[in-house]
Amino acid sequence: MKSKTSILVLLISVLILNLNIYADSDFDKAVLKAKKHLKEAMDKMDESKLVKSRGEFERILQLKKDVWLVNYYIALADYGLSMNAGRTENKDNIRKFTESGISIINKSIDENPEFADSFVLLEILNFNRWQYEQEKMQEIISATQTADADAMKLDPNNPRLILTNGISHFYTPEAFGGGVKVAIPEFEKAIEIFKIRKEKKEIYPDWGYDMAMGYMALSLIKRNDDGDMKKAKSIIDEALKLNPDSGFIAGYVTDQYKENNK
Amino acid sequence: MKYIILLVILLSHTGISISQSSDSEEPKFTVISGTVKGDRDSLLEGVNVVIKGTIDGATTDKKGYFEFETEKTGQQNLLFSFLEYEDKTIPVEILSGNNINLNVKLSKEDVKTEEIIVTASSFTSGQNNAVTLTPLEIVRIPGADADLYRAITTFPGSNQVDEGSRITVRGGDPDEVLTIIDQASLYNPFIFDETFNVSSYSTINPWGLKGINFTSGGFSAKYGNVLSAVLDLKSYDMPQGTGMFAWLGLANASLSGVYLSKDRNFGATFSGGKLLLQPYFAINGESSEYEPIPQSNQFGGTLSYKLGSTGNIKFYANYSDDKVGIKNASPSFDGFYNSNSKSYFTNLKLMTAPSSSTLINAGASFSLYDRNNEYGILNTDTKDIYSKGRVDFTKNLTSKIDINTGAEYEYSGYEIKGTVPSYSYNLNLTAPSFKIDTLSHTGRIGAYAETQIKISDRVFVIAGARTDYHTLSGKMSFDPRISFGYLPDNFHSIRGAVGLYHQYPRLDNYFRASDNDLNPEDAMHYILGYEFNKEGKIVFRVEGYYKDYKNLVLMDRNDFYYRSSGEGNVKGVDVFFKTKISNKFTGWISYAYSDSKRKQYDSQNLAPSNYDITNNFSLVGSYNLTDQIVFGAIYKLSTGKPYTPVTGSEFVSSQNVFRPVYGEVNSARYPAYSRIDVNAQYIFSLFGKFAVAVIAVNNILNHKNIYQYTYNSDYSERKEIITNNKRTFYVGLGLQL
Repeated sequence: MKSKTSILVLLISVLILNLNIYADSDFDKAVLKAKKHLKEAMDKMDESKLVKSRGEFERILQLKKDVWLVNYYIALADYGLSMNAGRTENKDNIRKFTESGISIINKSIDENPEFADSFVLLEILNFNRWQYEQEKMQEIISATQTADADAMKLDPNNPRLILTNGISHFYTPEAFGGGVKVAIPEFEKAIEIFKIRKEKKEIYPDWGYDMAMGYMALSLIKRNDDGDMKKAKSIIDEALKLNPDSGFIAGYVTDQYKENNK
Repeated sequence: MKYIILLVILLSHTGISISQSSDSEEPKFTVISGTVKGDRDSLLEGVNVVIKGTIDGATTDKKGYFEFETEKTGQQNLLFSFLEYEDKTIPVEILSGNNINLNVKLSKEDVKTEEIIVTASSFTSGQNNAVTLTPLEIVRIPGADADLYRAITTFPGSNQVDEGSRITVRGGDPDEVLTIIDQASLYNPFIFDETFNVSSYSTINPWGLKGINFTSGGFSAKYGNVLSAVLDLKSYDMPQGTGMFAWLGLANASLSGVYLSKDRNFGATFSGGKLLLQPYFAINGESSEYEPIPQSNQFGGTLSYKLGSTGNIKFYANYSDDKVGIKNASPSFDGFYNSNSKSYFTNLKLMTAPSSSTLINAGASFSLYDRNNEYGILNTDTKDIYSKGRVDFTKNLTSKIDINTGAEYEYSGYEIKGTVPSYSYNLNLTAPSFKIDTLSHTGRIGAYAETQIKISDRVFVIAGARTDYHTLSGKMSFDPRISFGYLPDNFHSIRGAVGLYHQYPRLDNYFRASDNDLNPEDAMHYILGYEFNKEGKIVFRVEGYYKDYKNLVLMDRNDFYYRSSGEGNVKGVDVFFKTKISNKFTGWISYAYSDSKRKQYDSQNLAPSNYDITNNFSLVGSYNLTDQIVFGAIYKLSTGKPYTPVTGSEFVSSQNVFRPVYGEVNSARYPAYSRIDVNAQYIFSLFGKFAVAVIAVNNILNHKNIYQYTYNSDYSERKEIITNNKRTFYVGLGLQL
């Protein structure tokens, strides 16, 4: 009798395990597929694709698994949509997607406060607020600094965190403590980490390598010391090998190089 | 062991048989397609459509069209979701192979909890489409000295009292303007509020506000015991980060900070400031003789704790004090007018949302304003005490209908002790006087109910009523109110309001009433206005109003008791034009015409009210020279306020002083008031931190505006007392720590 009970328990356990394996597999497949679509959309900065990709992640929420991670990607899609709105100076949409992104990434952080990338995303979303509510500068500075510190505590070698700081310094005038001199070492460090970094799970975010190379190239173009343009060209080529679809590298960065290398 | 082997085999076979079964049968897909539309049948791109519990679904394209295949069958729920729109769930019966086509309409989340619907006579800041004032504009308005109230007076309908932060609205008294912060009534958010010729300043930090709604008439039934205007402020529920900001200026220094816990459930803020006028006077000179010079301290803060995903509890506390002595020569006494005050305010607020469509706010507040005034024989200690408990309940019945209801109890106490001159014209140290030691208090119970109805995408109506009961007088009031808006398109709107408003007289008025028999003063508001608002970039508004006052406090000349037999009216037009040109220029012009007459207190006939400013004009501009440098300027011009002239005097031999003989109440006016202020702001990095420097020159043309007239001892010579706001220079530096 005892052994029959044991078998029954084992049977149920294995069945549950089996179901979970199937569920995990469905979930992972769905996330990986959606992640690929999001990357394509972000590479091309294609609004329609970004919207579709956002919807894809929203649908994955229905699986009710690792909701924090799915929310992370929805917030990342919102960030992409807000950046896209920034290209056309559509302030209503910058605000709409930034606010949505902040709200969703905060939910993600509530669900999993130990994931450094969520704080990095919160930081860059808060940077976006400058574009439409400069009057809240004190609050924005506090929010970005806090998110930065939280990410730093959790994962000081997170390459996206280092990249974000580099981008922030790249756009900040020297008079404000920024400039390429400060940014270049950060891009270098981010690239070094990206080279060797493997995320704990394939479904986790891994964006940023090509972007770090793009910004490194832009920084060299901007600095334009002896040999910088040559180095920039080499980095652009390397970045295009890494991600031939990157609109940022193939378009903006390459154009900047051509313009400054006449 | 054999069972385990059997089990493994069984499981393996189950898996195989499932997969074989799947492979052998051709899956039958059902195509679900359709179109999703929004308000006014606009096609919505980006709507997410999903069968609940699955990942089967699609996103709508530019034509609002979606299409996807599913193997699911039977009763399923289709979920439609889209940013800023309400989710919609549609049950469908899926029969394998029978395709489904749907036409779906989504509604915007029009009536959200705590959303401010912009009504007539409102100027708002927050996340809505009709923002007319932002905290950045408040701190940048030249001459406003980063003071919310002073900034508001650059909009039509409101005026500064004696160049300070106290405001009057559409000819009413300053007491007829109610400030509310997080539901609590804030009666004394000022320093130097009752001082002779020293401008008052607000103690409210504009950076701490997430929403500002100033309404100069026709406001909601949720606001009780206020006759003219409401300034409704909402502070942040939770800081969004951790940091500190320090400010050092020619006249003041302050330090503020915010803290957010790592789990983001707890937040705290603090601010402290001190007035340091020595360097300011050293550069600008003392415009009057002071002993002591004006001094003030302020500190306060908040503690917030998140309750679940939608609730919040917040404790707010603020303390401020001031002290000043200013030389003044009146006909009967030449000496220092000394005053000092202490103000305490605390508020505990609880917010909870039991469901996505229900919001409950509850709060309890306490405030004490304690001040001393001394001038000649006058020497009084006065205390105002207020305590309030309040509950508000908001329910979104549908996307078009909102119900708001609530109740409040407010305790008010007024205490005055000291020596008061028997005759107002004789203030010298040996003048006849009497001792006073009086305490009066009352309770007020109020309740309201209101509904906001969106009749269509273009028409809204807010209808409600409130009732209040005053325990001291035993009087009850009932106020029906209605306001509406018609928005023919996204840019134009017509807004109006009609309603009855009551306010019980100040407690000191009951001292002079027989058996506390004073009715609440009342005003009927009629407002109609038109606005053109192109996404805040161009705003043009014109609004006409008429207010009919009844039951104003009036002195009965027969027995000198106060009675509720006064009356009055005010009519006027407000015009406002604001423009934003890219990120470079923001500016506005405001003009208000007002004709306010009252039979109130000593005025036995309808006469211009104390704050009847016939014409009031402001021109404000701010220009971003670069991302780092901003220039601003403001020009203000208005009709001088009325005063009661002295037409002669009589010698009172028993007191050895002259008594003035007055003409008709408010039958004369001070000269027109004008002033130009300029400032510049520079944003830069200091020690690698964000820093901002401000340079300001107030009253750059040094226009001598008159505060009031005084007279020599026999009233034969009139002298002007010029306001203390002569040309002054200010510089300040702020640093994010």
